[in-house]
Amino acid sequence: MRTGAAAGHVGYLHEAILYDSDDHLLAVVLPFLRDGVEAGEPTMVGLDTRTADLVRRALPAGHGVTFLPGGDLYARPTAAIRAYRELLASHVAAGATQIRIVGELPAVVFGATWDWWARYESAINHAYDDFPLWSMCAYDRRTAPPHVLADVARTHPRVAGPGGSHEPTGVYTEPASYLAECRPAPLDPVQRTAPLVELTDPTPARAREAVRAADGGLLPPDGVDDLVMAVSEVVCNALRHGTPPVRLRLWCAPDRLVVTVHDRGAGPKDPYSGLLPAGDGSDGGLGLWISHQSCDHVTYQRDTDGFTIRLTAGNPHFPV
Amino acid sequence: MTCGGATDPGYGHACFAYDDPAALHARAVEQVTLGLAAGEQVWLVGPEEPDVVATRLGSVPGFDTALRRGDVRLLAVGQAYRHDAVVDPARQVQAYVRATAESLAAGHTGLRVLAEATDMVRTAGQRDAFARYEHRMDHWMRHHPMAATCAYDRRVLGDAAISELACLHPEGNGDVPFRLHAGSGDAVVAIRGELDASDDRLFAAALERADPQPAAGRLVVDACHLRFIDHRGLFHLRDLARRHGAVVVLRTRRPALARLVALLDLAELRVVVVR
Repeated sequence: MRTGAAAGHVGYLHEAILYDSDDHLLAVVLPFLRDGVEAGEPTMVGLDTRTADLVRRALPAGHGVTFLPGGDLYARPTAAIRAYRELLASHVAAGATQIRIVGELPAVVFGATWDWWARYESAINHAYDDFPLWSMCAYDRRTAPPHVLADVARTHPRVAGPGGSHEPTGVYTEPASYLAECRPAPLDPVQRTAPLVELTDPTPARAREAVRAADGGLLPPDGVDDLVMAVSEVVCNALRHGTPPVRLRLWCAPDRLVVTVHDRGAGPKDPYSGLLPAGDGSDGGLGLWISHQSCDHVTYQRDTDGFTIRLTAGNPHFPV
Repeated sequence: MTCGGATDPGYGHACFAYDDPAALHARAVEQVTLGLAAGEQVWLVGPEEPDVVATRLGSVPGFDTALRRGDVRLLAVGQAYRHDAVVDPARQVQAYVRATAESLAAGHTGLRVLAEATDMVRTAGQRDAFARYEHRMDHWMRHHPMAATCAYDRRVLGDAAISELACLHPEGNGDVPFRLHAGSGDAVVAIRGELDASDDRLFAAALERADPQPAAGRLVVDACHLRFIDHRGLFHLRDLARRHGAVVVLRTRRPALARLVALLDLAELRVVVVR
C-alpha cells in the first residue's frame, strides 16, 4: 500500500525540493524519511556529503534510514538509472509496497554536463515508473543556475515544500516530448581549435585506430579501451542508420579526448536512446547505451545540418 | 593462467589468396624449397595434371630427384581429396592424419602440403563443409608435424568467399578482420584481430563452423590477441555457451571487456583478465 502524499498513486511519484536554506531542506526531508521508516518502507538518502551529514545529524539514533554510498552513483546518468533500477527491483522482490528516496546531484553537474543530467531527470519519469517509488530530488536554489532550475521544473511534476505541501510545477513536460527537443550542450572550447584527426566515412576499425593513435598515454589504458568502444559503436550507428557522409573529428585537450561523429540524418528516433537499453542491439540502441556508460560525457546535437554526437573521455567539466 | 604468447602462432597453417598464377607458382617453389631443406615430405595438390606441375617446377634445385624418391608428391585434387562435390570433413582429416604418419614412418620430419582448393569451395554448400574441415585440420596441425598452405583463386571466388575460409586460418596473406583458430593448453580456440558490426556475420558463421566443444562445462577461448570485440561478438559467444549448456571462459588482457560483459549481464560468459 502506498502511504503519505503517494497514497493511491501508481508507479513513480517524482518530486523536487527547491530549498534556499538548510532548515528548508530539513523541514521537507525529515518528515518524509520518518514517515517512510514508520510505514516500514525502504527509506534511503542519496545526498551529497555535506547535506547527507546535515540530515544524518538531524535524525534520531536508530533512525532506520539507509544512506547510499556516494562515490560513482552520479558519475553517469545511464549507470545511475541502471543502479537505481536494480536497487528498486530488489526491494520490490523483497515485498516493498513503496520505496522512498531523497537524492541530490553534485553541483559539478550543473556546468558543462548538465544536458545529460537534464535528460536523466526527464527519462526517469518513465524509467522508474515500473516501481512504487516516491522520490524527492533536492536542488539548492542558491547554487543551481536559472537554466538548471528551469529544466528541473519541466522534469518534475511536483515540488515538495515545508509543511507538507506538494504543488504542481505547472510546466512539467512528458519525457517523450521533453527529450525530443533540441537541447544544445555548450561547445567544448577544444572544439574551437583545429581537430587532430578528421575522417570521412571511416570504417569502425579505422575510427578505433585513430583513437588509439591519438591517445598517446593521455588516458589510462582502460579509459582508452572504453572510448574506443564508444567511438566504434557510434561510427557503426552513423554508417548503418545515418545519412552520409559520416564525419569523425577528434581533439586532444590536456585532460581529455573529445570525439564528434556527424552525419546528415536526424539522429536516433528513440527519445530514451543512450539512457535505456533498446532492443537486441540490431537497431543501434544498445551501442548508444553502452557509449553512455563508457564515456565521461555524451551530448546530442541536432541542427539543419544533421546530427552530431560528442563523446568525451577524461575530465568533461570544462568551465562554462 | 597464461595468454597465448606470440602474436603469430606460427604452426604453419596459412591461407594464400592469389590473383596471379605466377604468385601461386612462386609459393610452390618456396614451399618445396622449405620442405626439402627441413627433411619434410612435400605434397603439391591442385587441379592441374602432375606432369604439367612437374615441368614447371623442374628448375627448382633437387626437385627431380625429390620427386623420384617420393620426397615430393604431386596430386591432382581428386587424388588427395575425395572427389565428391562436398568434402566430408571427418574422412578428409583422417586421410591427412594417415599421410602425416606415413611421412614420419618413411623417415621424413613431417608433412608439408600446398593445396590449391578453389574447386572444392565454389558453391556456398561446398564452402560450408570445407570451412568446417579447415578448422578440424587446423587443430591437427597445431599439435602435429604437418603444415599446409591452402591456396584459393580470388578471380574465381571473390573476396567475400575467401574471407569465409581465410578467417579460419591462423595466418595468411589476405586482409581479414579476425582469425579464429585452434587454441593451446586448455583453450579450445583462439580468436585474434577485431570483431565489430562489419564482420558480425562472418564471425557468426566461423564460430558455428568451428563448433568448439566444452570440457567439463567450460569452453575456454583465448582472446589475448583479440584487440576489440563489441556486444554483437559477445552475444555470439553467449549463444555458443547456451547451445552447449556451458560457460564460455574468455581469456583476455583487457579489463574493459570484463566491464562490458558485466554491463550486458552475460551470465554465460566469464572474463578472466591475464596480464
